[in-house]
Amino acid sequence: MILLELALYFGLLSLISVGGMPSVMPELQRMVVDVKGWLTAGEFLQAFAVGQAAPGPNILIASLIGWKVAGIPGALVALAAICGPAAVIAWWVSELWERFKESPWRRAIQKAIAPVVVALILSSGFIIATPGATPDWRLWLIAGASAAAMLAANVNPLLMLAGGGILGALLL
Amino acid sequence: MTVAPPKHLGELFTGFLWIGARSFGGVLPWAYRTMVEERHWLTHADFTETIGLCQFLPGPNIGNASIVLGKRWFGLSGAIVAFLGLMALPFIWVLALFIVFNDFSSNPTVNAVVTGVGAAGAGLFVGTGVKLGKVLARKPVALTLIATCFLLTAVARVSLLYVIPVGFLVALYAARKDWL
Repeated sequence: MILLELALYFGLLSLISVGGMPSVMPELQRMVVDVKGWLTAGEFLQAFAVGQAAPGPNILIASLIGWKVAGIPGALVALAAICGPAAVIAWWVSELWERFKESPWRRAIQKAIAPVVVALILSSGFIIATPGATPDWRLWLIAGASAAAMLAANVNPLLMLAGGGILGALLL
Repeated sequence: MTVAPPKHLGELFTGFLWIGARSFGGVLPWAYRTMVEERHWLTHADFTETIGLCQFLPGPNIGNASIVLGKRWFGLSGAIVAFLGLMALPFIWVLALFIVFNDFSSNPTVNAVVTGVGAAGAGLFVGTGVKLGKVLARKPVALTLIATCFLLTAVARVSLLYVIPVGFLVALYAARKDWL
């Protein structure tokens, strides 16, 4: 039953998605493309692109994958599953977190999460920009340019996405 | 400036609907604008504190914030209403966009543009990672952790189901030793 599979997998992903969608992108791509073959690497990159260009939380890429796999029900199930378990945790933890404001463990946890999340975000960028077995220099060039532009100037990210679209039309 | 939470569920719903409706290029700035600057539901400091918590929880930051704030103001029904309000329009739009794109995906130009947008989006992730990592750059243990987790997930393609728990425990040990 494909809906159940979607629900279980995205539910599991929800629990480990510390730092949000960017952190679990490597796992999502590994599962959806390499293990299940639901999408090709190229299709995955395009679903990601649509998710980035549309308004809303980038978690919505989950519903695009759900839609590809099982239509509208798939989209709803995937979105509910990727948000549900995390929402339950947020519900319980918000008070606890407040209570342990001064605890040294809270500070240690905050510090410990940082390097892991940084690594996962970098890994997401790398994986999305490298959809094939061999790196495509044109994709790396576009990704590098947008990363550099972001670091050099605080421009609206939509401009970088637009620039990527133009470069894509010219180069690809 | 007086700060007052939404008075009823309808107001909570339209507020989050409005955030979702215009959140091009990231939800966070729009959430700030709507809740702090326009509707005065909460203070700047309160907003920052709430988002700070949500960044350390699993799940989408802003989705968690809708749960935490909805709960604070109206309990369970508030959490559900805020979350649905936030997600409703973006869900419809992103799906519509994707369905339209799929109809045109055999067109090579459309394909190239969307692929280019995706690559630029990937670059934004790299930029974000570098930005966040800058504060850790002088800490060799942190850099080693980052490099190891990156190589494991990006190159060796090891599942995050292993990398996150193990990486986090090692990082927690390092944090308690004051290495991070």
